[in-house]
Amino acid sequence: MTDVMLDARPKAAGAIAGAGLPEKITLRNLRFYYGDHLALKTINLPLYDHRVTAFIGPSGCGKSTLLRVMNRMYDLYPKQRAEGEVLLDGENILSPKQDLNLLRARVGMVFQKPTPFPMTIYDNIAFGIKLYENLSKSEMDGRVEKALRGAALWNEVKDKLNANGMSLSGGQQQRLCIARTVAIKPEVILFDEPCSALDPISTAKIEELIDELKAQYTIAIVTHNMQQASRVSDYTAFMYLGELIEFGETENMFMSPTQKRTQDYITGRFG
Amino acid sequence: MIVNGYSRRKTRNAVMMGLCWAAAIFGLSWLLLILGALVWNGIAGLNLSVFTEVTPGPNSEGGLKNAIVGSLILTGLGVAIGTPIGMLAGTYMAEYGRHSRITNYIRFVNDILLSAPSIIIGLFIYQVVVVPMSNFSALAGALALAVIVIPVVVRTTEDMLLLVPLPLREAAAALGLPRSHVLLKVSYRAARAGLITGVLLAVARASGETAPLLFTALSSQFFSLDLFKPMASLPVIINNFAGKGYANWQQLAWTGALLITLSVLTLSIAARILSAQRTQK
Amino acid sequence: MDESARAQAVSLMDRRKALNAFRIGDALFHRITWSAAIFVLLLLGAIIGALIWGAAPALSKFGFAFIYSERWSVNNEIFGALSPIYGTLMSSLIAMLIAVPVGIGIAIFLTELCPMGLRRPIGIAIELLAGIPSIIYGIWGFFVLAPFLKEYVMPALDEWLAPVPILNVIFEGPGYAASLLTAGLILAIMVLPFITAISRDVFATVPPVLKEAAFGVGCTKWEVVRNVVIPYTRVGVVGGVMLGLGRALGETMAVTFVIGNSKRISFSLLDPATTISATIANEFQEASGMYTSALLALGLLLFGITFTVLAISRVMLARLDKKAGA
Repeated sequence: MTDVMLDARPKAAGAIAGAGLPEKITLRNLRFYYGDHLALKTINLPLYDHRVTAFIGPSGCGKSTLLRVMNRMYDLYPKQRAEGEVLLDGENILSPKQDLNLLRARVGMVFQKPTPFPMTIYDNIAFGIKLYENLSKSEMDGRVEKALRGAALWNEVKDKLNANGMSLSGGQQQRLCIARTVAIKPEVILFDEPCSALDPISTAKIEELIDELKAQYTIAIVTHNMQQASRVSDYTAFMYLGELIEFGETENMFMSPTQKRTQDYITGRFG
Repeated sequence: MIVNGYSRRKTRNAVMMGLCWAAAIFGLSWLLLILGALVWNGIAGLNLSVFTEVTPGPNSEGGLKNAIVGSLILTGLGVAIGTPIGMLAGTYMAEYGRHSRITNYIRFVNDILLSAPSIIIGLFIYQVVVVPMSNFSALAGALALAVIVIPVVVRTTEDMLLLVPLPLREAAAALGLPRSHVLLKVSYRAARAGLITGVLLAVARASGETAPLLFTALSSQFFSLDLFKPMASLPVIINNFAGKGYANWQQLAWTGALLITLSVLTLSIAARILSAQRTQK
Repeated sequence: MDESARAQAVSLMDRRKALNAFRIGDALFHRITWSAAIFVLLLLGAIIGALIWGAAPALSKFGFAFIYSERWSVNNEIFGALSPIYGTLMSSLIAMLIAVPVGIGIAIFLTELCPMGLRRPIGIAIELLAGIPSIIYGIWGFFVLAPFLKEYVMPALDEWLAPVPILNVIFEGPGYAASLLTAGLILAIMVLPFITAISRDVFATVPPVLKEAAFGVGCTKWEVVRNVVIPYTRVGVVGGVMLGLGRALGETMAVTFVIGNSKRISFSLLDPATTISATIANEFQEASGMYTSALLALGLLLFGITFTVLAISRVMLARLDKKAGA
C-alpha cells in the first residue's frame, strides 16, 4: 500500500512554461513579514514533484524563512505572517482554514541541528506513527525498521533500538530525524541546512540519502554549501535580500547563470 | 609618579582582597557555628523513642512521632495539591502564553507570591478556610503549604520548559504533532530532571515552613491522622517547645530541628545531583 | 495511477480523522493550563482581598492613626502599629547593612580569590544553607546567639561607645538577650547565603574576555572587580539585594524568638522591640474581634511593604536592563 501511495503523482497546479514537470508546491506572490520587516519580497517559484530544489544565498537572504513558510512553522511565533499563496497540490496552505498538524504531516522538516526526542531510538520513530495509525506491535516493528532502513541507519542501530536517541553520534542523530520524518509518510521533505553541524563523512551519507529519497518525495533543501547544492539538487533558487534572483536547473545555473549577482555569489565574490 | 601610583593601587588591592577573605571567613564561620550547634544539641536527644512516642507534657518522657507523621502528611498533601496547579500554570506561561502579555503579569504576580512573607499565607488560609470551617485543621495547613508550593513549582516549570531547545519543539511540531502531544511527550520529557528538581525544592521548602501552619494546622499533643482536626508538625512543635523553659521540651526542639535540617539538606542535595546529571547530558 | 491517488486521498482522510480526535484533548489541555495560570493571578487577588476584608474593621476604626500611633492596648481595643513597623524596618536595615557587604565580599572571594578546589564545595554549602528553614536560625539565635550577645558583646558595646555621641544612644545598655540587635544579626545571617548565592551567580555571568582584557591592561584584581565585574553585574546584584530585603522584612520564625516582643519604641538597638510578623505570630491565636482585625491589618501592611520592595526592584531591574540594552 505504501509503495502505491508513494508513486502517486498528483497533477500539476500549473507548470511554469518550459519546465513541463508537475508542481508539488507553487509559491505565488509570497510576501513574508517579521513584524513590520518585509523578509520575503514577492516570491514566485515552483517545487517540482520528485525533484530536489536547493535554496542558496548569503545569510539572512530569506531562504530558511521561505522553507518555514512551506510547513507554516512560522505560525508558532507571533508577529510573523505570510501573504500571497502557497499551493500544495493546488490548495492554498496559507488559508486560515488549513489544519496545521495535517499540513506538517504532509510536509516534513529536518533541521539544522539534529533534534532526537529524549526517548529511545524506537520510540523516536514510533511516536509519530502512533499518532495517525493504530498498528499492532509487529506492524509497528516493521514500520520502524522500514523507516530506519529508509534513512540508512538500520544496520547501525538495529541492536540498540532501546538506547536513548541522544546516545547516537551527530550524523546518526540527523539520520534518525530523517527516519522519523519519513516514518509518517510525508509528501514533501524540507531540509534546513541539514549538514551544517556534521563532519564530512556524515555529510556525504546524508547527501546520498537525499538523492535516494527524491524517488519518493519532493525535496527542498537550504544550504550554505555551493558544492552540496550542485551535488544534490535538480533545481536551484538563488536568493538575495529577500528576493528570488534566479531559479533554474542546477546545472544551467552553476554553469551559466543569467544574473550577475548569482555569478558573483557562486564564484565566491560575496556571501 | 607612576611607581608611586602603582604601589598605592597595589596596597588598595591588597586591602580590598583581604576584606573579601575576611568576609568569607566571617560568613562561613557563622554558618558552621549554626550547623555545629544543631548537630551537637540535636544528636544528644536522638534515640528510638523520638520516632515511636508522641510529644510529652512538660518534664516527662516522649518523642516526636505525631509531629513527624504530621509533617509528612501536611507536606505530602500540600505538595500534592500545589504541584499540579503550579506545573500547569508554568506550562501555560512557557508554552501557550509565551508571548502574551498576561504571562508577564502572571510572572510578576508569581514572583510576589514566591517571596511573600509566609505568615501572610497563614493569615490568608485562616481567613478563607479556618474561619468558614470554624476549626483549625490539617487540611487548612496543607492548603497553606500548597500556596507556598505553587509559586516555587510555577517558577521552575516555566524556567525548565523555556530551556527546552527551540529546535526540539519545532521538530515535534514539524511532525504534525498536536500541541498537547508536543508538550506532554516531548517538552516534559526533555525537562523532566528540571521539573523533578523543582518539586524536590518545593518539598524542601514546604517541610520547613512554620509560619503558615501556626494558625491553620495549629498543633496537637496527640497522634492524629484526621485531616479535619488540628495536626502537629515538626516546625510548629519546635516553635512551641523551644521557648518554654522545660529541659525535655528544649531537647526535643533541638532534635526536631536536626531532623528537619537533615531532611531539607537531603532533598536539596538530591535536587542538585539530579540537575547536575541533566547538565552533563 | 488513479488507484494510488485514491489511496493517498484515503490516507489523508485517515490522518485528518486521527488529528480531529486529538483536537478536543488539545483544546482541553490548553484550557486547563490557562485556568491554572489564571488561578495564580486570582490567588494573589484573593490573598489581598482576604486581608483587606479582615483588616477593614480595624482600618476604618483607627484610620491613618493605625500607622503612626505607637499605642497598642489590647484591653482598651486601641491599636497602633508604629512600633512593629519601626522594628520591622530597623531589624531589616541592620540585617542588610551587615549581609550586603559581607555577602558581596564572599561572592567576590568565591569568584576571584578562592582556590579552585574549594570553589564548588563552598558554593554548594552556601546554596544548601540558603534552603535551611528559618525556624532553625530562630532557635539557634534564641539558645546560642542571644545569650552570648548579652553576656559578652552588649556590655562591651555599651561601655566602649558611651563617650561617642549618637552611637551611645543607639547602643545604650544594659542590653537584653532578646533585642533589635539580636534580631538584626539573625536576619543578617539568614539572608547572607541568599545574597551570596545570587551575587556569585551574577558575577559568574561576566564574560571572561572582559576580565582578561582588564587584567591585560594591568588592572589589579580589585580594579577588575570594581571597574568590570560590578558595573557589568549591577542589575543582578541589586535584584539579589532587594530579594534578600524582601525576605528579611517578612521573616517570622527567625525573629520571633529573639526580638523580645516589646511594643515600646526605643532608640537603643540593645532593647527589645517587635516586628509585624513577630506580633502576628505571637498574638494571633489569642486574639478575637477587633484584636484579630488589627493583626490582619498588620498583615496587610506587611504585605504592602514587601510588595512595594519587590515591585521597586522589578522596576529598577527593568530600567537597568533597558540601559544595558541601549
